[in-house]
Amino acid sequence: MLFFNKIIYFYYREYKLNLSGFQDILTNIIFFFLSIFIFIFSIGPDKETISNIGLGIVWTLLLLSSTLSLRKFYQDDFESGNLLILHLNGFSFGFIAILKTLSHFFFVQVPFLISLPIASILLNIASDKLIYLFSSFAIGSLILSCLGSISSSMNLMNQKNFLLGSVIVMMLSIPVIIFSVGVINFEENFNSLINILFGILLIVFAINPWAGGLCLKLSLENS
Amino acid sequence: MILVKELSVERSNKKIFENINLSLGSGKIVLLKGKNGSGKTTLLKTIINIIEPSSGSIYWKGKPLKKNLYDYYNHITYIGDKTTSLRQLSVKENINIWKKIFLSKTSKSQIKNILKTMRLDRYLNQKVNELSFGETKKLELLRLILEDKKIWILDEPLSNLDEETIDILAQTFQDHRSKEGSIIFSSHQNSEIGVSEEIRL
Amino acid sequence: MDYVLNFHWKIVDLMFLINPNKFNQVADYIFRPILVLSILLFSLGLLFSFYISPNDYQQGSSVRIMYVHVPSAWLALLTYGIMTLYSIAALAFKIPFGFIFNTAVAPIGAIFTLICIISGSLWGKPMWGTWWVWDARLTSVAILFIIYLIIIFINLSFENRILREKIVAIFILVGSVNLPIIKFSVDWWNTLHQPATISKLSKPSIDPSMLTPLIIMTLAFMMIGLAIAILRIKTEIISRKSHLN
Repeated sequence: MLFFNKIIYFYYREYKLNLSGFQDILTNIIFFFLSIFIFIFSIGPDKETISNIGLGIVWTLLLLSSTLSLRKFYQDDFESGNLLILHLNGFSFGFIAILKTLSHFFFVQVPFLISLPIASILLNIASDKLIYLFSSFAIGSLILSCLGSISSSMNLMNQKNFLLGSVIVMMLSIPVIIFSVGVINFEENFNSLINILFGILLIVFAINPWAGGLCLKLSLENS
Repeated sequence: MILVKELSVERSNKKIFENINLSLGSGKIVLLKGKNGSGKTTLLKTIINIIEPSSGSIYWKGKPLKKNLYDYYNHITYIGDKTTSLRQLSVKENINIWKKIFLSKTSKSQIKNILKTMRLDRYLNQKVNELSFGETKKLELLRLILEDKKIWILDEPLSNLDEETIDILAQTFQDHRSKEGSIIFSSHQNSEIGVSEEIRL
Repeated sequence: MDYVLNFHWKIVDLMFLINPNKFNQVADYIFRPILVLSILLFSLGLLFSFYISPNDYQQGSSVRIMYVHVPSAWLALLTYGIMTLYSIAALAFKIPFGFIFNTAVAPIGAIFTLICIISGSLWGKPMWGTWWVWDARLTSVAILFIIYLIIIFINLSFENRILREKIVAIFILVGSVNLPIIKFSVDWWNTLHQPATISKLSKPSIDPSMLTPLIIMTLAFMMIGLAIAILRIKTEIISRKSHLN
């Protein structure tokens, strides 16, 4: 029971932290919308083209803007020593990785849910496709969170080249993009594609505590 | 309770220290003394099982440390060289979060008293960002009381503190000792804290 | 005779695959034979592929690119597979030779992948009319190249050697889990977006007159890769020792 309390208070702490840095998340969303504008400016205002490639654009930008917030994952806590304190308080490294992944999902990715309908209006996506967008986003963004956890924990001690973390996330997330966009474009295959996405989620979710926890341990050991 | 036997740590095949023996029973205060770079922080981090020793072993209550790590972690407070208070939150919020996450049983009036003696009470609603470095350090030391654990492991607790606070800290140490607690801390400067054992690195 | 006998007894002891000192000993024995063998095989293979093997009835003379393209693709994958095995050995069984191997061999794999991509696009220009087609195979090989580049970049950008080696091994393992997923997803994506008429590579059978040079060239590529790998691993052992002491 005490342990559950600890988990709840861990999320209380994350909530407080994210609330005080709320403009960060807002900036992410602004980045998302500005990129949509820039895409449209570079393609041209043709309605047909935009609604054809709209979903691809939405998913690409979701991926890009989630790589923007990678620093939020472990870097701040690592530099301030909070990661060590959490570990000494009874959380194993793998468990910290899981908790942080879920926290990133709730506090960074879920706010994007609000922006999806607006984006679909801007990009001329039919409103009956919105349900597919939402369901693929719910699974896909959790996968992105797991991948972000893995790559940002790898990147903790990297002083020279912080962008490497984003590159790793983008490389690993190719299947997510393919299947998420596929879910929306091929509705008759909806169930099978969602199942594949779910399978990828399970694989990544299983790797995350191992890889993330090991990298956290190594970084703390060598800091 | 903690027993360190012939501990040596190597990093990149460079010996940082070797053959350290140490025993920390209840009611003992151990001071690690040494110059910069003599491995004080590394030894403390090895004791809390963050760094793997290259040889030697650490025992907790007679068993190897790795066998009952989380029981061990339930009994120690570690304060490192970093200040772990969340900088964008106020002092009050920080104390609240700490109280919750450490499941602290310290009463409100007790915390108020300590804040008053440490002269932190007027900053209660200010952000940690706005405090000076010494004051953040004092806030960090508040964790000792909040966590209320038996063993304190402190890395350079005396640096950046004024004499008044050092006196308060010495008093706290003696109180903790009389409550059967034990302390291990490192320092490179002389202080008037009464210690029961001194180890030179 | 003495030389051969010595060589024979050294090779029986498989410990040289995980022990740097024994590797150095064995490498000294086999390096020169491998170099000679690779030169012989390479000249033989080039002879076969340029003069003896027949023209393809559809592709004409440009089919000869295959003798460079296919072996390099195979070796690019093989290198990654061996790196995965060594990463498991290094992380799970604490064998530091795995770290040495990963650091030394990653650029070789990257070069093989690059050769594969470049020769493929040279082959594609006369056949398909473009340098690059978003074919499933091409895309996944390109992603493999990016993975190799990331491994090299991790090696370059971390300052702490011990940490960096372990993180490279973890990344290789994560990548090896992800690589089949990527391959599968790209396959799926490709079959949906365009018909697979251009995939000339997946011809079911191959004539022996073409298979012989292909096998010889594969062996030659393997030997050259092995020779470079031995050199790089020996350098890596020395630099790691001098760094750690």
